[in-house]
Parts: sequence; structure tokens; C-alpha cells
Amino acid sequence: MPTFAVGDRLLRQTVLAGGGWTAGLAAVALLGAAAELLLPAALGRAVDAALDGGSAWWAVSACALVVVLICVDTLTDLASGFGAARATAGLRRRLLRHLFAVDVRVTCRHPVGDLVGRLVGQAADAGQAGNAVVLAIVAVLPPLGSVVALAIMEPVLGLTLLVGLGLLAVLMRAFVADASAATAGYQRVLGNIAGRLLESLTGARTIAAAGTTRREEDRVLAALPELDRHGRHTWGLLARASARTSAVAPLLNLSVIAVGGYALTAGWLTPGELVAAVRYAAMGAGLGAVLATLNHLVRSRAGAHRVAELLTQPATPAGDRPLPPGGGALRLRGVCVHADDGRPILDGVDLDVPAGATVAVVGASGAGKSTLAAVAGRLYDPDGGEVRLDGVPLRDLDAAALRRAVGYAFDRPVLIGATVHDAIGLALPVDAAAPPADRSPATPEVLRAARMAAVADVIERLPSGYRTPLVDTPLSGGENQRLGLARAFAAERLLILDDATSSLDTATEHRITEAVLGSAGGRTRLVVTHRTAAAAAADLVAWLDGGRLRGLAPHRQLWADPDYRAVFQPADGGS
Amino acid sequence: MSRPGVRRVTWRALRASRRELAGLGGWSLVESLPALLAGYLVARAVDEGFLAGRLLNGLAWLGVLAVAVLVGAAATGRTYRSLGAVVEPFRDEVAAQVIRGALRDATRTGGRPDSAAVTRLTHQMEIVRDTFAGLLMVTRGFLFSAGAALLGLLALAPVVAALAVAPLVAGLVVFLAALPAMVTHQRAYVRAGEQLGQSAATALAGHRDVLACGAQTRVAAEVARWVSAQAAAERVLARMAAIRSLSLGIGGWLPLLVLMVAAPWLVERGLTAGAVLGALIYVSTGLQPALHTLVQGLGGGGLRYAVTLENILRTCPVSDDQRPPALAARMPRRRPPAGPAGRPPALEVRGLTFGYGPHARPVLQNFSLTLVDRDHLAVVGPSGAGKSTLAALMAGLVPPQAGTVHLAGTRVAEVEPAALARMRVLVPQEAYVFTGSLADNLRYLRPDADDHTLEVALDTLGARPLATRLGGLGAPVAPALLSAGERQLIAAVRAWLAPAPLVVLDEATCHLDPVLEATVEAAFARRPGTLVVIAHRISSALRAARVLVLDGDEPVVGTHEQLMARSATYRVLVGCWDDPVVPSPAVSTRQR
Repeated sequence: MPTFAVGDRLLRQTVLAGGGWTAGLAAVALLGAAAELLLPAALGRAVDAALDGGSAWWAVSACALVVVLICVDTLTDLASGFGAARATAGLRRRLLRHLFAVDVRVTCRHPVGDLVGRLVGQAADAGQAGNAVVLAIVAVLPPLGSVVALAIMEPVLGLTLLVGLGLLAVLMRAFVADASAATAGYQRVLGNIAGRLLESLTGARTIAAAGTTRREEDRVLAALPELDRHGRHTWGLLARASARTSAVAPLLNLSVIAVGGYALTAGWLTPGELVAAVRYAAMGAGLGAVLATLNHLVRSRAGAHRVAELLTQPATPAGDRPLPPGGGALRLRGVCVHADDGRPILDGVDLDVPAGATVAVVGASGAGKSTLAAVAGRLYDPDGGEVRLDGVPLRDLDAAALRRAVGYAFDRPVLIGATVHDAIGLALPVDAAAPPADRSPATPEVLRAARMAAVADVIERLPSGYRTPLVDTPLSGGENQRLGLARAFAAERLLILDDATSSLDTATEHRITEAVLGSAGGRTRLVVTHRTAAAAAADLVAWLDGGRLRGLAPHRQLWADPDYRAVFQPADGGS
Repeated sequence: MSRPGVRRVTWRALRASRRELAGLGGWSLVESLPALLAGYLVARAVDEGFLAGRLLNGLAWLGVLAVAVLVGAAATGRTYRSLGAVVEPFRDEVAAQVIRGALRDATRTGGRPDSAAVTRLTHQMEIVRDTFAGLLMVTRGFLFSAGAALLGLLALAPVVAALAVAPLVAGLVVFLAALPAMVTHQRAYVRAGEQLGQSAATALAGHRDVLACGAQTRVAAEVARWVSAQAAAERVLARMAAIRSLSLGIGGWLPLLVLMVAAPWLVERGLTAGAVLGALIYVSTGLQPALHTLVQGLGGGGLRYAVTLENILRTCPVSDDQRPPALAARMPRRRPPAGPAGRPPALEVRGLTFGYGPHARPVLQNFSLTLVDRDHLAVVGPSGAGKSTLAALMAGLVPPQAGTVHLAGTRVAEVEPAALARMRVLVPQEAYVFTGSLADNLRYLRPDADDHTLEVALDTLGARPLATRLGGLGAPVAPALLSAGERQLIAAVRAWLAPAPLVVLDEATCHLDPVLEATVEAAFARRPGTLVVIAHRISSALRAARVLVLDGDEPVVGTHEQLMARSATYRVLVGCWDDPVVPSPAVSTRQR
């Protein structure tokens, strides 16, 4: 997989992004490892010196080493925290910029939760790369060094330690397998309870009306005793596993002392050296824990890989040509779009929309209507062919000029911004987008757009009108659509409505159509629709069938064709 | 402010399981046996065994220690069992609280179902469970093993014990002094992460919309602000971690240092080689790891525990009194009869005013309406005109800002929910079907209905094919496997069975096909009592005796004919509600 290489390159970049902090961390951590390795030897000599009444120099050096260790621990925390914060923030900013530079097709391949997970979770994992690399390397040094030191001091001691470590590894492995099987049952019951809670939350209005909240509590909580049973079972398993593993490390230490004791009796070791041996053995027994720090490295690498996957998606190239004067004439030539699996969605579509005209796009679901709408305003580029607005290919057009000229409204718009005002003003320049500083309800641009979308009435009834926070605003599908429409009315030349009035009752849709037709003269409109009324009101209808343009004519003319009429039949008898 | 909440809840949980905690303490005592004996036995082994040239003697002392280690290990296992007996009831309590809080919040006036409750239940509650257990283990571990090491040290060399305690206490004091600040900063860090996640989720969910509006720079900058905020919070946490390490250094390393400095002087006073070794073992394998575990445990899991539990308590406040307020006790007051036949009207709305906020333009203003028994009213109007709000006001789910609603002479504001449920039934658009048998679902509002009654209801509302497909009354129903229309049909049958005289259907049949919708509405119209239909299709209005048109400021009531003459909005709605103007003679292919 080539992306793994890219992920590793990103990992290296992230290590470097920690900058001075990572370098500092490496220096401090190396110093700490050295001090940690030297301390037992110094302690041993100091003990011997104390017993024999020898020089106090060893005790002083042991104390110095302890002071170094205290400083090292403190500085390690500081450097690793600051370095990770810096690397993570840098990575997140880079990913964020990139996500808004790629086109809609790229982000559509990932659920939003996945993208957020990569930006928030995995970027943080990757941001730990510097710490993980440095600490993983350095943390191995003291335990490995202590095995070496023991072996130098007395080979049998080193061997004893190694055998014990092997035993410890086997026991730890057995525990991991045990615990994961036990938690599965617990998780299943918890999932059932959560599922029931979600059901009741969905039916909250019914429950409120029926006054059955207490009954619902009992229904959801009914499985709690079972959860309790599973929970206690996991503790039981943990008990057995911990009883087994908790004896090993102390016994390991004890066996080193026993072997060391023999060496003491035989005169191979001094009491001070036994002190050193005991400390080295404790340090070496920490090797298992040190191996766990390798987990951080693995996690960091996985995070970097997931972030790099997004960063390698090419950004949409921006053009630099300005838009010549014009009325929004749209011209598609040989436009082809393929799905990810290669299946054609649009297959050589030629379409001319004269400036100021309204063209309805109709077709059965899957005919390519939304795709046509997406390439017509460059939400993404077609795989083949060309789209021109007033004679300029969209690819060559300056990005800001393109967005000023073209506006989109969608079937299910996502509103963005702190307040309702911000949401309507998203496509407007910043000074018109934010709520005015004085006491007037909204900027003139936002007011006009809200009125045209027949949503001004709804907004005035909100607790704080246009300044109502979006999160506090429960909006119906129809109200959402009208705010989405209001947002699109900022466009100067071309308005693309992708099924943007599907949730409105026809009375409201009628009002909006009148408002748009009345005051948006000169703007070209491309309207994806399922409704005969909207098709009938358009100058021309572009009838798509299986990715090809099957007809381009007024609605009355096409209506004679039974296939065309079939497009408007509901798929089933439902709504 | 809310930290006492965490403290109180924790304290209550601990007090509730005093017996189990005593068991935990007992086993912990046994578990600390090796920690108590280690230094002493090693000292004896060295002094009386290895240094005295008696190898077997030394090994015997070490053998005693090995037995103590095994006993301690067995006790470790028992402590986990006792821990489970403390933790699981606490987890039960938190789960019940999350669930109760979420349900109360979703069903109270003006409340909204919050799907984050599910995350609180599955994710945050698990964090609380794990960290609470960790906290208990770490605290009692420190108390017992540090205590054991100090006792052992005292037995071996009292002076050393006195010298080691001072720095240990100093380190603990530094750590505990910094703990409140750590909680605050940890909380800020968690909040910053949540805010970053929320902001990123909104921005990325609207990626298409942002691109279409050309607002990439603006939106990315907004999210980047939260990135910087979180980085700042992370740096503060790093400083806190440094303080933690410093306290650990003072409490854990300084005793060793003190021992080193004092060693020559102690040896002069007759401290043996074995005792020096034993003291070193007490300090380096007893005190230092115990403090380390405590500081890392409190500073890591402990902070997570406090912040996460606080988060849960913030959204599901603990109520010591779990009964609803005293409204239940009060008897509904009846007004003197007002109707012409001496009976009060089925529904009487007087001077109703309602808006979403004190400064917002009201949705309804001084609105009045009277329905007699067996009345059938349809409510129509463009979306956003306040139809659902009117339904909620009629059902007494939302209190009006002014005005009154009376059901059969009783004021809804004075009736407790269970009694209200016997007076009227509201069927909302989002039908509620729960996991259980079909019969359970149908009996929801009338638990005493027999099977025959249910069968009749199924036939009357045209739900027989659905019931057959599901496998009959006793068959289990999985809501996720039903279509929206099927769920609405089940909810409709349930409402039809309800004993309440007034039925309010709030777009309750919008996912049914027009034929089935007509069947359902006709069944409700034949049912004794009064029917209000918030209409999704104009055909519902044509079936009703009277129609209420809600649009802007002037609601109008009348028959279909009257409204066609009087209301322009109604004419527009009737003219072009479904797919209307079809410009050819092929009108017959469309359903009306």
C-alpha cells in the first residue's frame, strides 16, 4: 500500500513539527535514562562505603542523580505536552484547510463522523508521534541496560531475570484473551438498554402525551439486573487473572535476591552490589510495561496513516480568470461523470441554458439529476467534457468570482453558523453576513433573502428572531429548506435548486416561485424537481434518462410522451 | 458549584456499600502482607543467612517471603471481587439516573429528545465505571502498601521511618494542593475537545454547502479557532502534569536521598547491612511505587472520573425525591356546565396566546375555538403556521402564555399527566413503537383490552395485512424493521383503542398511502368522541365537518364551502396542495 509510505512520511513530518520541544524531550529523556541506569550502581557503592566507612563521594553522586531524575521527570512532562499540543494543532489546521480545498466527491466517500474522528481523534494520536518515538526508544534503555548490568555483575542474575520476564509475558497474554471474551456479554446487554432508550426518546411526544414516563423508565431499566450480573462476572475474571499475574513480579525479584544471596555467601558480590542487583532486577521487570509504550507508537502510526489518507486526496485546482459581463448563460458540452465503480452517471450530456432562462431538470431517481446540478456550478469537475458560464470554463474561473455568480439550494441543506442570521448570510460578504451591531433585526441583504424565501415570518417568531442561535432552533424540513433557499439568493447570475422545495407545501412553494421569478429577473435558474407544477412553470425541461439527455423542450410538449409522464408517478402508493 | 455534586454522589455510593468496602479493606490488608514483610525478611535473610555464611538460613527467610507473596496474590484476586460488589451497584445507579434524566428531559414541557443520552449511557457511564474502580483501587492501594512499608520501616529502623515520612507527606501536600486546579484544567480540556468536535462536525456535515457558498475560509477559520483553544488547554495540562511529577519527585525520591545521606551515620549507630538493604527495599519497592500509583491514578483516572461524572450529573440532575410534584394529589376542578344540552363542550379554547419566546412574534394570539362531542375538525395551513403547536396546546402538553384550554369542562393545566391521558390522546407524526409484542404495543394506552378488542381494532383501521405479516398479536415487533408508515399504522390502532374521548391526530398518517389514510380517518370519525386532524393532505380537510385555516395572524374556521368563499389561503391550499395543475387531459392518471 503506497499510502502507508505516505503515512510514515507524515509521521516523520509530525515528529519534526514538534520542533524544539521534541529535540528537548529527546535530550532530557536520554539524560534521564542515563541517570536511571547509573543510580543503582552509585547506590550500591554508597551502601558499601557506608558499611565500610569509605568515602562519602558515592552518596553525594547518588543524591545528584536523584535530583537529576526529579528534574528530568518534570521537564519530560512539560516538553512532551507542549510538543504534542503544537504538532497536533499544526496537523489539524493542515487537515482542515485541505478538507475544504478538496471537492464534494472526496468528502462524500466518508461519513461525517469518520472525518471528525480523523480531525479530532486520529490527528491527536498522530500528534503524539514525536513523544511516542522519543519515549519508546529511550524507555527501552533502562530495562535493557539493567539486564546488561546484571549480566556483567553476575551472569546467573541476568539469566534469572530473563527467564522470569518470559513467564510474565505468557501470563499477560492469557489475561488479554480472557477479558475480551467476558466484556462482550456486558457490552451486548448495555447495547440493548441503549437501544430501548433510543426507542423511547424517539417516541418522546407520545410518551409525554400518554403520561407514561415512569412506565418507560421501568421498561428501559428492566435489563439492568442482567447488566449487573455480567458486570460482576467480568470482575470475577479479572480477579482470577490478577491473582495469577500479581505474584510474578515480586517472585521474580525474590529469585534475583536469592541468587544474589548465594553470590553474597560465596563472596562474589558485596552487600552494596546486592542492593544494586535488586534495583536492576526491579527495573528490568518493568520491560513488560515498557513494551506497552510501543503501543503508543503503533497508535500514532495508525493515526498518521488515517490522516494522510485524506491529505493525499488532490485539492481542487483553482483558476484565475475573471467573469466577463453576462447574464448567466450555462453551456455543458459532452459532460461525463463516473461513479467510483466506473458506472456512468452522466454520459455525454450537452445542454444550453440561455441567460435568464429557467430550466427544470427532471428524471427518475438515479437518472443523474443531482450530479448534473453538482457539475453545473462546480461542486466538482466532471470526469469528461466541459461546463462554461458566460463563455468561461468553470475550471479556469477565479474561485471567489464563481461563488459570487452561482448559488445552490439543496433538498436537505445543512445550515452553518452561530445564529439564523449567520446561516442565511453564509454566501454573503462578511459585513453583510454577521448580525448588525445596532438594534436592527438583520442586514438588508439577509432580510431581503429571508422574505424571498418566505421564511421571514418563521424567523420573527423565534425567541430572538434572526439572532436566535441555530442550536436552539428546532426547524422542520420545510423551514430548513426555506433557510437554505434564502442563503442561495445571494448568487448574482445562476441559481441551482436541487430539489430545494421538496418538503414545502405547494402554497409556500408557489409563493417562493413567484418571489424568485419576480425579483430575480436576469438570473438563470436550473431547477431539479419531481413536481409537474415546477416543470410546467419552467421555460424548458431537461429530461434525463439513465445519464443521458432524452429531451429538452417545454413541459407541454414532452407531456405527450407516456415515458415522460411516468417520471412524475410516485414509486409506490405512499406519500 | 457542581463539584460538590460529584463529591456527594461519590460519598453516597461509598456509604451505601459499607459492607462491601469493609470486605475490600480486609482483603487489602492481607494483600499488603508481602509489602509489610519484604524489607524485614530480606534484612534477616542477609544478616543471618547470606552474610553469616548460612545459605540455607537465608533461603528459608526468603521462602517465608515467597509464601507471603503468594498469600498476597490470592488476596489481590479477592479484592477485585469485592471491588465489583462496590462498583456495579454504583454503575446501576448512574445508569438509572442517565435513563431517567433523559426520559424526563425528553417528555417534559418544551424538552427535546437528546440522542447524546445514548452516548452518556454507553460511553461516559463506562468511563465512570472504570475510573471509579481505578480510583478505589489506587487509593486503598496507597493507604495499605504505604502504610505497610512505613510500619516495616519502623520495625527495622525507626529513625529511617521518621526521616522518610516527612518528604512523603510534603509531596502529597503539593499534589493535593494542585488537585483542584488540575480538575478545573482537565474539565476545560475536555470541553475544548467537545467544542472542537461539535464545530468540526457541523462544518464537515455541511461541506457541500460551505463549498457551494464559497465560505471555506470563513468556516475553516471558525473551526481552527477551536483547534487553537484546545492546544492552549493542552499546554496548561502539560504544566499541571509537570507539577504532578514534581510532587512525585519530592514524595518518592527524596526519602531515598535522605536514606543515602543518613546511611553512614546510621551504620555507625549499629545498623546492619541487611537492615540498610531492607530499608532500601521498603522505600524503593513500597513507598515510591505506592505514591507513584496514587499520583498517576488520581491525576489521570481520578480527573477523568470527576469531569465525566460531573458531565453526567449536569445533564441528569440527581433528585433525592423521585416523585413528581404534588399536582397528582389535586382533584381536577370542574366548571359549571356551559353547553346548551347542559353538558360542557368536548374542547373549549379561550383567548389562547403562544409564542416561542417573550420577544418573539406569537404563533397564536387570542385564539378561541369550541368543539362539541362528535365534532370532526381538520386544521390546515402552510408549514410553519403553528399547527403542531396548536395540537400540543390542545393536549395540554405545552402551557399557553395566556388563555385556557378546557376538556369536557376540566382545565387541562390542572390535571396530572396520567389523568390527562384518559381525557385525550395525541398521536404525533413520529410514531412510537417499542421492542415487544404487537399486543403490548397496541395495549399501551389501554392495558385491559382483550385480544378480541385488539383484533376488531386491527380490522377497523385496515391493519390486518400488517398484523398478519408480522405474525399476529403475540409476534415480536422490532421498530427498526418497520417502515415509517407501518409504525404510524400501529400507533393509530393504539390511539383508536384508547379510552380518551378526544383524539388529536398531528400529521399522524402522513406516511400512509392516501387510501389507507382515508380508512384510518374514517375509523376515527366513526369512533365515539371528538376528532381533530392536523392535516397533511387537503383530502383530510374534505372529510372533516369543519376546517380551521391557520396562516399568519388570522385563523379562520368554517365548512369547506364557507372557506372556499372566505379564505384566499384555503383556496390556494385546495388548488395546489398535492400535485395540482396538470397541463393536459391526463388528469385521470393522478390520484386525487
